[in-house]
Amino acid sequence: MYETLRFDETDGIATVTLSRAGGNRISMRMVRELTAVCDHLEDTSDARVVVFRGDGGAFSDGIDFSDFHPDRPLDIHGFNKWEKLCTRLERLPKATVALVDGPARGGGFQIALVCDLRVATSAAVFQLPEVHLGFLPGMGTFRFAKYVGLGHAKRIAMTCEAISGSRAVELGFIDRLDDDLESGLAWALGALGPNHTVAIELTRRLLNESFATSYENAIGHFLAAQHRAISQTAFLDTLREQRKK
Amino acid sequence: MFETRPRILAVGTSNPPDRYVQSEIPDLFTVDVPAIRALFGSSHILTRHLYLPPPNADGLPEETQGELLAKHLRGALEIAPIAVERCLADTGLTVQDIDYLACITTTGFMAPGLTAHLMKHMGFREDCSRVDIVGMGCNAGLNALNPVAAWAAANPGRNALMVCVEICSAAYVFDQTLRTAIVNSLFGDGCAVALVRSAVSDERAFAPRVLGFNSQIIPPAIGAMRFDWDDQANKFSFFLDRDIPYVVGQYAERPVKRLLAEHGLKRRDIRHWLVHSGGKKVIDAIKYNVGITEHDVRHTSSVLRDFGNLSSASFLFSYQRLLDEGVVRRGDYGVMMTMGPGSTIETALLRW
Repeated sequence: MYETLRFDETDGIATVTLSRAGGNRISMRMVRELTAVCDHLEDTSDARVVVFRGDGGAFSDGIDFSDFHPDRPLDIHGFNKWEKLCTRLERLPKATVALVDGPARGGGFQIALVCDLRVATSAAVFQLPEVHLGFLPGMGTFRFAKYVGLGHAKRIAMTCEAISGSRAVELGFIDRLDDDLESGLAWALGALGPNHTVAIELTRRLLNESFATSYENAIGHFLAAQHRAISQTAFLDTLREQRKK
Repeated sequence: MFETRPRILAVGTSNPPDRYVQSEIPDLFTVDVPAIRALFGSSHILTRHLYLPPPNADGLPEETQGELLAKHLRGALEIAPIAVERCLADTGLTVQDIDYLACITTTGFMAPGLTAHLMKHMGFREDCSRVDIVGMGCNAGLNALNPVAAWAAANPGRNALMVCVEICSAAYVFDQTLRTAIVNSLFGDGCAVALVRSAVSDERAFAPRVLGFNSQIIPPAIGAMRFDWDDQANKFSFFLDRDIPYVVGQYAERPVKRLLAEHGLKRRDIRHWLVHSGGKKVIDAIKYNVGITEHDVRHTSSVLRDFGNLSSASFLFSYQRLLDEGVVRRGDYGVMMTMGPGSTIETALLRW
């Protein structure tokens, strides 16, 4: 059913494996298929965690230029579709994990950034090559500086510097280095798995909004979100557990 | 079979001529309590249109209940005709073409109702049918749209006019307490009018069809928002419970889910959200419980900022701003959402 990726759902873990010969480049077809995956994850899936990874020793080498033709008029709509997809991935009602081996360039880099946790191998390479190619690194620019600060973000985006997995851990945008991605995944599932989905979703939203919101607005957002969290059965269960002790 | 649905064909709004800067209102009257002055300093409301009396010898606005009721009728008959004319301006219609008139007001208790006054004042036809929806509160615009749309569906080709007119300044009690100050610093005066019709000849019009409604009443919170008699002040007085935003938030997702499910839609299918400008905390509660963004409530927030809470008229002010923005496309879905005393949440589904 999918041509550009494989989708599996086992024991509450959904796995999206980007799978295209030549580095899992992101084509418009892949954008459409990832959008369909989002439909499923939002509407029908019972999975608690979604894992993103790549086939063939790569995460994703970035945009596939074969959808663009220099002799035909270019427009911005494909980029808009892509950014909408990234925002949907970022807001999925599940915890999300990126497992990165090999290159994560451009859009591939951004898929990793929209996830809640990121695990990389020492063979991972993170790069925003767009400026060198004459276009812009997408809303990855907007997200990346929040992870590493403006200084690192400017240098990495404007010089197209390639960042290794271990350096990415030092810079703070990769959470764990593990050459065995299965053990890295086990760590991520152990860390996120027991946590409550609604609490994860709301905490993630408040954190994503934190750099762009005044304290006066943020406190209102927090109180509204916190009230939603404490109205869930999960929190009432916690209170009952605490009483037993 | 091709089914004709009622559409919102036009909208118009109006406000009283006097516009007040929120932060300056405490200085117009003797307001010394710091907590009350602070209420007027928040940035969520910057201006409101109001009918305020000049201060009396003690520097206070002094109006009896009788004067307040008279002010309500006078104000309503000043601003409603302007909104009606703005609504009809581009339709080629006059009030003589209106077959059904609904007037919605939260605080205007009177008999005959506002419809009778407005019809006399503006010269409606003598056979125009009418209904007054009084005392329902901020949610009432959708409580009214429901029967107005049903009337339009049952009377194809005929024109229904819905007039939400709120003179909230005719419901103010000044007693230097926080309870009344919260009300006095929140509600503004305004009128919004919508023309609703169900006609085959409108099928190509760029106007949204009203596809359906869903309601949520919250009986345990029946006392959270009240407009009842205050023996001490000898006036009707609003009471707003501090937990309203959280009560509304907790239930907000339910009617939206039902409304969308009934039409086989997902939240992501909704391009436009027209949420009542109840107050900053209420808007936050809707955002985080329904899962919509700052962008989705941009008009809700800007209407609150510029006009305060206009009770039943607020959501149509947001609707007007959405139309003015020019981003709506044919086929787009929109959800209207209002909340108020009951406690209640009302929703409606639109499609352009």
